This record gives sequence, C-alpha cells and structure tokens, in this order.
Amino acid sequence: MKNFEDDFYRLLKLLKIREPFAFNRFSDGELYILQNKELILDSAQVKVGQNVTEGIYQSEDFKRFHPEEHSFYRDRLVEAFKFKKRNYFKGLSCRCCVGNESFQWQLDFHGKYDRNFTWANLLVNGNYPKFIHEMYPVFNTYKTVFVCNENADLSVLPFLVKDFRVGYNAMVQDYGLIEGIKSWINENNIKGHLFLFSASSFSKMAIHQLYEFCDRNTYIDVGTTLNPFMDMRIDRTYLKSFWLGAKGSDISKICIW
Amino acid sequence: MIKIVSGFSIPVGSTVALVNLCNQLNDRGCHCILYGPDNWHMDKCKSAKVSDFYPENGDIIVVHNINLFSVVELYKIQDKIEELRKKNRLISLKSILMKHFPHSRKHVGIKLILSCQENDLFPIRRLNYAMFDKIHYVHSSQIKYHKIVHPHFVCPNFSNHLIASEHKPIRAAGLIGSIRQENQVNVSIEKALQDKMETVTLYGYLIDPAYYYKQIVPLVKKYPGKIRFAGFIDDKQKIYDSVSDVYCTVGRAWSLVKKECALTNTRYHEPDIFTTEEESMANDQIFNVWEKELGL
Repeated sequence: MKNFEDDFYRLLKLLKIREPFAFNRFSDGELYILQNKELILDSAQVKVGQNVTEGIYQSEDFKRFHPEEHSFYRDRLVEAFKFKKRNYFKGLSCRCCVGNESFQWQLDFHGKYDRNFTWANLLVNGNYPKFIHEMYPVFNTYKTVFVCNENADLSVLPFLVKDFRVGYNAMVQDYGLIEGIKSWINENNIKGHLFLFSASSFSKMAIHQLYEFCDRNTYIDVGTTLNPFMDMRIDRTYLKSFWLGAKGSDISKICIW
Repeated sequence: MIKIVSGFSIPVGSTVALVNLCNQLNDRGCHCILYGPDNWHMDKCKSAKVSDFYPENGDIIVVHNINLFSVVELYKIQDKIEELRKKNRLISLKSILMKHFPHSRKHVGIKLILSCQENDLFPIRRLNYAMFDKIHYVHSSQIKYHKIVHPHFVCPNFSNHLIASEHKPIRAAGLIGSIRQENQVNVSIEKALQDKMETVTLYGYLIDPAYYYKQIVPLVKKYPGKIRFAGFIDDKQKIYDSVSDVYCTVGRAWSLVKKECALTNTRYHEPDIFTTEEESMANDQIFNVWEKELGL
C-alpha cells in the first residue's frame, strides 16, 4: 500500500544521495485541462467547464485555458502526464482531495499503472513541516535554479545560482522559455544542478521536457511551498496553518492513495 | 548496551549533542544506540525509532527530554512521547497529580541517567527525577538553575572537528541556532545589520514558523536582499566557511558556538549580558567522564 510519508522520504533520500530525479505534479487545475475543460482562474470568476463561481485568485495565479484555442498546450500537458522514465515521478490528485471519480479518471486516462505515481500533494498538507524542516535545508547542498513568477523576491534563498521568470498564464505566454532553459543547460554544461519550479501549469511541461532533455539534473515542482520566503501570498490553508498557526486540518492531513 | 532515548530527534543542539555522544561511544568500542521519535537522527549515528526501544537487564539508559514519572513508562516509551506531544490539559493535570504520588523506586538491573541539556525548556522538578541514578548536566550553572538535590555529574558535550578556512568571506554574518522567540533571532539580525554586515544568514531549525513569519519576514522587507534562511545544516564546517561573524543574543553557557568560532577564525559577537564561564574539555576528557559515570 502506498504511503504518503514513505513517498516523501523516498524523494528526500534521492535528493540526499544526489541521484537525479524529476517530481512533477498534476493538481486539480491540470486535471481539468487534461479533461479538456475550459478553465478560467482570475479575480472576477472561477470557471471550470460550465461551472462558474466567484473569483478568488490573485494575479500570479491567473490562468486561462480554452480547449480549442490552447489545444497545443493541452497536448504538451498530456505528454508530460503520460511520460515514463526512470526516476520521473508523477504526482496525481488524490482521491481524498478530488474524490474517487476524478482520481480514477486520471488512472484510466493514463493507461498502464506507473510505479512512479505519487501524490501531487506530496510536499504539502501533512508532509509540509517535513518539507520545510528536512528537504529545504538539502537545497543548500546543490547549485539551485529557480523557475518562478516575475514578482517573487528570491533574496532569502541562499542556495540559488540562477533564476528564470514567468508571468501571467505562463503555460501559454512563456512556453518558449523551455527552449531557453534547455539552451542554458547546454551552453553551460549544467549537470548535478537542482531546478525548482513554482510556475503553475508551465512547471509541468517544463519539468517533463527538461528531464527528457537532460536527466542529469533534478527537477522539483515546489508549487506554493516556498511562498513565505518569496514575499508571495500565503493564502493556501496549509500555509496559513503552518506559518500563522491558523486553524485547519490540512497541515496534519495524511493523504491516501 | 547503552541506549539513549530522547523525546525528540529533530535537528536542534541537544539532538546533535546526543548524536555526537552516540558516535563517540561507538567509536571508542562502547555499543550505543540513539532512539528518537523523529527521522533526522536516523542516518547520523547508530540509531532506531522509539518504537524499537525496550529496556533490558544490564542496559544503561540515558533519557533526554521525556517527563517520566515511573520506570513502567520506560516500557511504553512511544506511547509516553506521543502523549506528551499532544500537550493537552489532561496531561498537564496528570503531571500535577503525579508529582504528589510516591515516586517509584529505581529499577534493579538498569542504570538510568537523565541528560539535562536545557533549563527553562525542561524543568527537572516537573518529573520524577528520583527514579534516575544520576543527572547529567552539560554545564555547572544548571545545578543552581534546577535546584535539585540528587546525584549528578557535569560533562560538556562532545565537539566537532573544525578548522579555520583560508578564504573567509567579508561582512557575512551567520546566526546559528534554532529559530524561535526565546533565541531573539530578530534582535541578532538587527545587531548584525547595524554592524554593517552585508548579509545575515539564519542557520537553524525553524521551531516556531509563526515567529519567523511575524518577526523575521518584516525584517526581510525592511532590509531588502540582506537576510537569508538556510535552515539546519549538518555540515558545520560549511557554515563557518561561509560566514565572517556569528551573532548571538541569548547565550547558553554550554553552547559550543563560541568555541567553534574560535576554532574557525570566525568573529563571535556574544550577548551583552553574559557572565557565565565557559567550561571546555577535550573530547578524550569528555569520554573519560562518561566512562567513569556510566561504569564502562
């Protein structure tokens, strides 16, 4: 039986022994895109398929996916989701967070079961304290590259040697940056580096393509986990619980498979 | 067998001290295992989880930071630690009541040592210290602080081998220690920046994230680009190689930071009010004390 904490320590061990890997995450936003549903996340509305609710998102989280207009990017996301390679770990939205039906949809859509499946939430919820206390310090042992939002302040992170920035709806607007990062890796013979990604759906396509291009680096989608160090908002429940001591069960939630 | 069992094994000063103790004892031919409830210690020395801990006849057991009231609790140590971590009102009430019950007798066949690496964070009076054969203090000042009349010995913690780097950075400050209100990390940051340090890097376990967010994050914004957070780093040599100065606002007499700064040619800025004398010993001397006190 898969175990939420064991999977975390599996990745942490690889990181400590410097064995390159990629950890890609397909959360609910990516799930909707994979399902080819129209997705709009902005301050005015949240639209998923035909369902429209009040907008809750801030500028760095704005996203717009239209199935016909953006089919190219959806195809790239599907490739990232179905890609298989040694040490390419795919985090899926778990049944306890998105329900049985959506969880099963991912497995059916993927086809053959991949033993490198893990949780999209692997670094958050009940594993978040372990991420901050045990995984974050290991970043100091790497030459680390950060791919993140243009508004992020990275000065608190002492381990960075390079950063690449993305803006609004990066999956579409900054897609070309993936080739730019590949060129930088090639021209500078980048090996043994750690690449962190906090760039929404852009991260998923980039991690897939970069790990396929050069599997001698490690690529991790850290999502919103480092927001408190980057002068970015901490409105996610697990962040508010950990950093502000706010009430909420997410910070102790052990996700199930 | 020497068994060290701690109420936590997160990377803070006392855990590092227990890891060093375990390694030093094993290196010198004394079989020792460190048991802890967390994961950090597991690849640092001969170790196991507390769920594997079981006292056996002939054991020497060094207990750290566990509010024990009876020897029976030693046999259910995992439950005890989990109970203490819940810190609910019922436990507090139980602790108050337990203090007034007759203390259990010492266990025949097992030598019990209480290692006291803290003052205010672990007041010995709140547990049944009578069940221990001896109390281990890391500094003589703790005897006065805890005001316990009980057999004891004083022995500082083992230190790491460190050397002075040939290429020290300039005006790069480091704060070494757990990040929490009690250590006044925010005050140390301000002191370092008033001394015109270019950067201040925090090397320590983030015990209190809310303190960091409320007290340190505003300083990050006040001094853009100056403050960095590294977290707890195992490699002390790497820490000292990356800083020119170390700042400390709340000193603990048994802290090794001052000694380590001297070894690595790092300037140490100690607390303004700090009168306690340092008690230093070489590792061989420290081992001799343990050898004698544990009857090895």
